Amino acid sequence: MDIIACIKRIPDTSEADTIKIDPSQMSIEKGSLVFKINDWDEYALETAVQLKERTGGSLIAVTVGPKEWDDVLRRALAMGADRAIRVDQDMVAADCHSVAIVLAALTRSLPYDLVLCGAQSEDFGCGQLGVMVAEMLGVPHAALVVGLQEEEGKVRVDRELEAGILESYTIELPALLTIQTGINRPRYISLGGIKRAMKKELQVMSPGELGLTAEMLAPQVKLERLEFPPRGKEAVLIPGTPEESAEHLASILQSAGIF
Amino acid sequence: MTLAEYKYADTIHRCFRCGYCKFPVNWMDVNNCPAYARFRMETYSCGGRLWLTKAWLSNEIDWSEHLAQILYSCTACKNCEEKCPLRFNVDIFNMIQAARAEMVERGLVPAAVKEFLENVQRHGNPYGNAREGRGEWSQETGIEQYQGQDYLYYVGCVGSYDTRAQQTARTLGKVLLRSGVSFGVLGSEENCDGNEVNALGEETLFEMLAEENVRKFKDLGVTNIVTLSPHSYNAFKNDYAKYDGSFPVLHYTQLLRDLITDGKLDVSGGMNARVTYHDPCFLGRWNGEYDAPRQVLSAIPGIELVEMEKNRESTLCCGGGGGNFYTDFLGGSENSPARIRVREAATTGASVLAVACPNCMTMLEDAVKAEGLEDKLVVKDVSEIVGEVCGIG
Repeated sequence: MDIIACIKRIPDTSEADTIKIDPSQMSIEKGSLVFKINDWDEYALETAVQLKERTGGSLIAVTVGPKEWDDVLRRALAMGADRAIRVDQDMVAADCHSVAIVLAALTRSLPYDLVLCGAQSEDFGCGQLGVMVAEMLGVPHAALVVGLQEEEGKVRVDRELEAGILESYTIELPALLTIQTGINRPRYISLGGIKRAMKKELQVMSPGELGLTAEMLAPQVKLERLEFPPRGKEAVLIPGTPEESAEHLASILQSAGIF
Repeated sequence: MTLAEYKYADTIHRCFRCGYCKFPVNWMDVNNCPAYARFRMETYSCGGRLWLTKAWLSNEIDWSEHLAQILYSCTACKNCEEKCPLRFNVDIFNMIQAARAEMVERGLVPAAVKEFLENVQRHGNPYGNAREGRGEWSQETGIEQYQGQDYLYYVGCVGSYDTRAQQTARTLGKVLLRSGVSFGVLGSEENCDGNEVNALGEETLFEMLAEENVRKFKDLGVTNIVTLSPHSYNAFKNDYAKYDGSFPVLHYTQLLRDLITDGKLDVSGGMNARVTYHDPCFLGRWNGEYDAPRQVLSAIPGIELVEMEKNRESTLCCGGGGGNFYTDFLGGSENSPARIRVREAATTGASVLAVACPNCMTMLEDAVKAEGLEDKLVVKDVSEIVGEVCGIG
């Protein structure tokens, strides 16, 4: 099966207090941040690598971003992608539509049975990209996939609904799936693996090579400003020893009628 | 990698599971392998791990999450190497480490190990905390940035980020200041020493950390290093030479002993307490330093130093080595090694359990709470005991 995995580079925000908005209010301060593959995309990559290990075929990792995004493609190559392509375009971060146009154009130029995307990104969290690409390609899709089994010319997928309910589909290939976290356990990417992957092909293309013009990629979404949500006033810090604070907390819960 | 390609293919089969690896020196029980003490199953003993490694590399068994957890439950304490009667005993941990390296290369490590290693890759510490916060522990202590002083005081990841271990790092710094030692720290410029990364089998990441640290130390003109952690001490002393980094290095207990001997650190104020000392594996069994911490404690008037039944070469590991202070494969049970260890400490009648390692500190202090021994036993680092004697908080 020929697979394309779409990945994004995002800041590691596990330390929330390290996130600062820069003076322009249009971006966060990136100087001291470290970057990584978007969590959902890593699950999509692992899904793709496992499928390739089971079925053969090719796996191409793709992204749309500036040169520094090569590092996430190197990790994808270390994970098991055969080759990688970066479309060299610094997109407006929140504009999924323009990114989808680029990815759809790139995908059309490549052999594929299955396109895998993460269900959403950790930074902007729109959750729209994969579905937009599928619509542009005119292929069937399923979003929030938590289970996947390949069959001849099709895949059986489980989608996650609310309250633990799963929805199962059989989807004809070619198709696009957006992958939910937890579908598998992404493998560790060793530093040695990344070094060895430096020998694999990483191709850089311009939007022009895909027949895309600046007008076609004009943002549909305008970022006005970034700001932190206003601080809540309801938080209460309960001081004292564990015994004292537990007693105080119990009295608060009691007076609120919780128990 | 197949068994034939495994570096220890010619020796690993020689383990016939006599079980000596589980004993302390005096054969008093079979619980001195921390993972075996925790799970009481042969698979978790050193011999079990070697047989499983051989079976995995021979394709007799498949990789599984459980197999990976068994291999990563080894705390690198070297009790097995101390007790194994066979000549290959010097390579027992190397065999485990090489099997882990193969798991790392295949990407097949337990989730907690993956998290540990990815955090070190990205942030230079296993906690995933920001690099720029690494030096915050030393704020308002008067401790200076390293700029050619006699000693580089290397703190390590646990001392830099763990709230409790930060107290120890601060106290040691203040004791060194009081003693007039010329030293500085790297603060946010400090990076992981890689000792645990190496033990977890991530050889290339360890190489990168070692090369970067050696380059940094040389650029700064570092001549001597004193470490808070025996883990850092071990890496600098035994592993950095391969990367052209042969720096004279002391564990801080060795420096404190010398300062007391030379009359530069006055501990005559004394402390009335019965104290028992827990040997950290990376100071004791890995580097043969059993005396310096005991000499420091013995030099303090009023301290009655009593030994636990398992001491020196027979010490029971706290369970935190080999990254287990973070991955915690041995936690969650009254048979967790740290809990066994604090129960043993309590039976000596000591009111203070002295440690000389920030990993042991965090593991054993948690265990004291889990055992409900807070009223009887306090865990203190040797540097903190010295600090108290000198009136340094």
